[in-house]
Amino acid sequence: MHGIDKMFIETNEIRLEAEFFQLSTNISSSVLICHPHPQFFWV
Amino acid sequence: MYNNIVSGVFNMCVQNKISCLRFNFRGVGSSTGSHTSGKGELSDVKACVDFLINEINIEKIIICGYSYGAAIGCSVVNFSKKIIGYCAISFPWDFMGPKYKKLSQTKKPKLFIQGNRDTIALYENFENHYNFYFDPKKYKIINGADHFYSGFEENVAQEVSEFYHSIAK
Repeated sequence: MHGIDKMFIETNEIRLEAEFFQLSTNISSSVLICHPHPQFFWV
Repeated sequence: MYNNIVSGVFNMCVQNKISCLRFNFRGVGSSTGSHTSGKGELSDVKACVDFLINEINIEKIIICGYSYGAAIGCSVVNFSKKIIGYCAISFPWDFMGPKYKKLSQTKKPKLFIQGNRDTIALYENFENHYNFYFDPKKYKIINGADHFYSGFEENVAQEVSEFYHSIAK
């Protein structure tokens, strides 16, 4: 995987829509970003 | 998948060649399932952590959550030793209740970002909540920002970037 990949992360229960960025497979650290939830987000 | 703060942090990561993963909780966007008031959403974060560790071979994960995403995401901090810290942007302690405050307690490094005009993640209660947490920790108050940080996206992303580089050595 190189660049931005749109994907689904799958478990036995659900499929999560996701985007993953990685420029090199040599990178060993990553930031996991968690969205606000629209049900609890006042816009 | 779009939110101004999440996209600001994601784009900062891309520009700085920092590996990053963002996702929609169950029942949001194209994610399957439905909202479960927290229990399932905690599992969603754990599934993403498992993906990074098992599929990508990531050794160090920094969780960055915004609003509800801060409460849920940071509450998974002790799920794996490979999670080395978190950045919480406008953690809505008062709205979410004490459960997520307890779950997000950790001796791992923490950064809390807070707007001083935030009336949802209440600024006036920030210091009280912040004092609950163990060291190491630090905070950044974004002057003029409310819960939505309109116009402050780069400021927030810069703080996340500096925190990332300080702990992901």
